[in-house]
Formats: sequence, structure tokens, C-alpha cells
Amino acid sequence: MNQKMFIIISAVLFFVACKKDYQAPVPDLEWDLFNSSAASKLSDSIRQKIEGVYNIEEGQAGFGVASALKWSYTITGTDTSYFLSFFCAQDVSYIICEGKRLDSSILLNGYWRKMINTETGKVQLTISAENGAAAILSGRAITSLDTIKITGFYGFGNGVPGFPLQLRHVRPINKAKPFEIIAHRGGGRSSDLLPASENSAELIRLASKFGATGIEIDVRLTSDGVPVLFHDATLNERVIQKNGLLGPIENYTYAQLNTLVRLTNGERIPTLREALNAALFNTPLHYVWLDTKFKGSIQQVRDMQKEFLQKSDAMGRGLNISIGIPDEGVRDNFLLLKDYAITPAVCELSLQDVAVTHAGIWAPRWTLGLQNDEVNDIHAQGKKAFVWTLDTPENIEQYISKGNFDGMLSNYPSVVAYYYYAQQ
Amino acid sequence: MRNNKFISRFFLYCVLIQLPAVAKSQEEFTSMPTGRGQYALVSYVGGGLGMYAADAGTPQHLQTKLDKIKANFSMRIMWHPDHLLRFGLETGYMTFYSYTLTDSAGQRGKAALRAVPMLVEWSMALTRRFNIFAGSGIYLLTTDLNYITKTKSHKVSVGWMAAASYILPVSKNMGLGMELKYMDAAETSDGSIAFQLQWVWKFTKW
Repeated sequence: MNQKMFIIISAVLFFVACKKDYQAPVPDLEWDLFNSSAASKLSDSIRQKIEGVYNIEEGQAGFGVASALKWSYTITGTDTSYFLSFFCAQDVSYIICEGKRLDSSILLNGYWRKMINTETGKVQLTISAENGAAAILSGRAITSLDTIKITGFYGFGNGVPGFPLQLRHVRPINKAKPFEIIAHRGGGRSSDLLPASENSAELIRLASKFGATGIEIDVRLTSDGVPVLFHDATLNERVIQKNGLLGPIENYTYAQLNTLVRLTNGERIPTLREALNAALFNTPLHYVWLDTKFKGSIQQVRDMQKEFLQKSDAMGRGLNISIGIPDEGVRDNFLLLKDYAITPAVCELSLQDVAVTHAGIWAPRWTLGLQNDEVNDIHAQGKKAFVWTLDTPENIEQYISKGNFDGMLSNYPSVVAYYYYAQQ
Repeated sequence: MRNNKFISRFFLYCVLIQLPAVAKSQEEFTSMPTGRGQYALVSYVGGGLGMYAADAGTPQHLQTKLDKIKANFSMRIMWHPDHLLRFGLETGYMTFYSYTLTDSAGQRGKAALRAVPMLVEWSMALTRRFNIFAGSGIYLLTTDLNYITKTKSHKVSVGWMAAASYILPVSKNMGLGMELKYMDAAETSDGSIAFQLQWVWKFTKW
């Protein structure tokens, strides 16, 4: 009897142990004080005064010693929502808050997330009148004599925030040299449990909250020639919900994919047009890297690039869109474009290929090293150099502090944002 | 669906009525080694029904009708040496599952996931009639989609199988058996429990 019980318990433990709960849902962000009718939106000038590099005085165990705070926004129809992102180096963590004014205080309500694991939770913060809100709300410029201190609590999951968090403003964020923070796959990988799936229009709308100023998206063609976003060579459960459809995305028509396939978080596979619409009309992003993952003519993608660049110019939006040249096959197809010499492109190949394709951006892989001499040569030609794909904080710090690159591709744009904006 | 009912009735007829009668008539085929230095190649040909055991993941946003019980067929050749452990190869053809769908515009379609396993197997006779099998290899998977247009798309997945069979002798070199097997395409999380009627033939000896 005992032996049978032992076998049954062992079997149950074996199966239970194998079922690991692996998710990081965004917590419920209800905060009565923040949602009260007395709380009002912050103006542009007030928001700008809160940005900066802050020392973390309490909560270092969770978020490290410092954080760079920067606003971003999302446009939905005629409504614009603003978000204050806290970029932290420790454990690839970030905080995303909305801000409101309540009497003479400023309230910040949001959530935090660590990308190295599934930890997340609520954050409820305040800038009281005596901690700097009076100066911020006064309408005058903030000086070095003003003290801005953000205080409050963070919690775990949907639990009530109970762990103290306190930050003190120390200096403005670095904007000395323009630097493109490019989020991989439209904002990050599905495997990192972001609130939206990789290469989805929904994730593109979130990318700037994670620190991105630009995005890299993967373009493939369906069997009926519709450019869509999809990273992997085949449909698989890493990126889509299981549905019995397997094999290369190029085997299916757009209508089939649109009806039957849903990405990990339930989104449709977006067309390139939908993705560019999201980037242009819903975000402050100003760079899109179209990673060409298909063989054959690039003309259709070139036409769409031209159309959206014209729309951007008409809006005064300043969105740059480059066609990626990742290999020799794509290079040869790129050179078949009649206007390739004036087509904005990002070339991952040699400096000679950059010259042949007239690409405005050279993008070597990071494993080739800093290559400062080559980057300086590119700068001398009036071109830019972006490096891909760096995810380790130590490497990101090294390439920002010692390299001459003009941009960096990463799955963790919040870490790039921290090291760039916190740089002195 | 009607085809599946016919197969299941035929299967039960064979298992419940014909097999015991055949078994009484002769009793010579054995799964155990027949003697030191005696080797044989044995083929196993089986067919039956499989039930898809994993979550099919049919699209939740569509009206779908899932069919998880499908006919399957398998064939293996095993080398029977003069000891209990044997080695061989298995292939076959199976449909993991299929579903019909209706989209929001009323357009109907059908999707099926089929597989051809190609496995390297080990087996052992536990008694004269009872055998266990285990193998690993690849599954050549095919999505067969008929929605708006017909599409066939392929993918290779690693996979494995495990089975147990009971073989009744028919003659010195032949037997009829029943096999319960689990077939799993690991990379795509597709698994099926199959119950097959099996014809076993020791076609070469030396």
C-alpha cells in the first residue's frame, strides 16, 4: 500500500513539477486617488520638468542605484496618452507610469517589470509639494537649487504596493549626441513576456514606453505577395498560438493567415502597411528598420517605404524608414531597384557593399567589435552606423561609452535607454 | 466520420471474434529468441485508430468542429537477434487531427495535420507474446488546409514513440497482434494514442 502511494505521489509530483507557470501579466492599475475626479492631466511643460536622471535612495534592492526618467506617448484616434518610463540597469528592470496632478502634488501610477524573470507589480508614487511639485507646477524653470524627490511604494503582482521606493533628481538626461535606440522585432521578443507579441502592431505602439526611439521589424511575403511582419522561417508555437498550421509563412495566403493565425498574445499577423501606420500615426518613433527576410523583388516594399516617407514629410513627423540589406541575395535584389541609389537603406554587409548600395546606414553585428576606425570612416562619408543586437548590460554600456555608433539594436531597449540617458 | 465508424467496427470484429479463433488453431510464432545464433528480420504492419491526446488549439475566434479520432497506419521492420533486445525502423502515415471552420463571413474551410514518422526503434519481448517498443526520430508533418484556396505546408519535427503489443501466433512465421502506442511530435507538441491491429511476419531467418 505504502509503495503504491509512493508511486502515485511521485507520478503526481513529476507532472506538476514539469508545469512551470511562465507569464508576467501587467498588474491591475486601479488606484482610487489617481482615478479620482479631482486628479487632472499634466501639461507638456510640467511633464518635461520631471524628466531626468535620479538616484534611487530607497528600493535599490529592486531597481539599482539610479534611473533615467523619460516621457513617451501613444496616440489613439484623437486621444494622446503620456507615459513616464523609468529605465533602470539592474535586472533589466523598468517602471512605466501615467502621471496626474492632484492639488499641489503629482501622482505617478503604473507598474514595474524585470525582464530577466517574470517579476512585476504595481507602483504608486507621489511628488509632494515640498518635494518639488510646488516648483514643477509653478510655471518657472527648474534650477539646480530645486529638489525633486519622488516617493512611494511598489508591490508584487496585484498586491498592494508596500515596499518603499524613493528617487532624487540629480541631473537632466543626456541628449548631447543623437542616438537611435532600436527595439528588435518591433519592441522585443515574445519570449520575454511583453504585454504584446513580437512583430505586432500592438507592440509597435508600446515600443517607445520601453525606451525605443526606433524599431526593427521583420518583413516576409505571403504566397499572394502581401508583405507581413514575421520573424521566424516557419509558423511555430514560439510566436503563434497552436492551430495546426505549420511550415513557412510564404506557403499561405494573407487571407488564410489573417483568419486562422493569431500571435502569442492573440494579435493578428500585421501587414507591413498596418505596422507602418502604427509607427507613423500612433507613436513618437522616428526610425523604422525593415529587415528584409524574403527572396525576390523588393519593389513592393520600396513603394510602401516611399509612400510612408511622403506621408511623414507631409505631417512634419520626421519618420525615417530604411530597407534592410542583411545578405548578398537581398543586396542583389536591392540593386535591381531603379532608384536604389536614393533608396534609404541599412546595409549589414561590408563597407564596400555600403558604397555599392548607397546605403545611408552601415550596421555591423556587435561581435565584430567596436570598429571605431571604420565607424569614423562611415561618419566621414556622411553616413550613420548602427550596431546589432546587444542585450547584455555590460556590452551595452561598453558600446555606448566607448563606441562611436549612432544607434543600437536590442531586445532590451530600456537598458540601452538607461545607459544612454544616464551618461554624463 | 462514417469512414472512421466503419474502421472501428471492423477493428472490433477482428479483435473480439477472429483473433482468438486464429490463436487456437496454431501456436508457433514467438516473440522470444528461438535459439543461440538464430537471427531474423520481422515486419510489423498495423492499422487502427488514433486519438489526438494534446490540445489541438483550434482558433478560438472561429466556429470550429474538431475531429480528434483518426485512422492511422504503421509499418516497422525489426531485427530479432538471439537475445531479447531488438533494433529496427518504423514509418507510417497518420492524421493527428482535423477541424472544419466557418469564418465570420460564413466561408467554410478545413484544416488537417498529418504526419509520416521516421523512427529508430528498440524493442524487447517480455513474454512469448508481449512486447514493448520505444523509438525516436523525426516526424514529417504536413498541414493540409482547404480555406479559400488549397495549401499544403510541411515541417520536420523531432519526436518519439512508445508502444506495447500482444501477438498471437498464426503460423510458425506469422502472428496477429494488437498494439497500443503513443506517438509524439515533440517540437510541435502533437501527440496521439493509437490502437492498432497488427500483422507480424518473420520474413527472413539465418
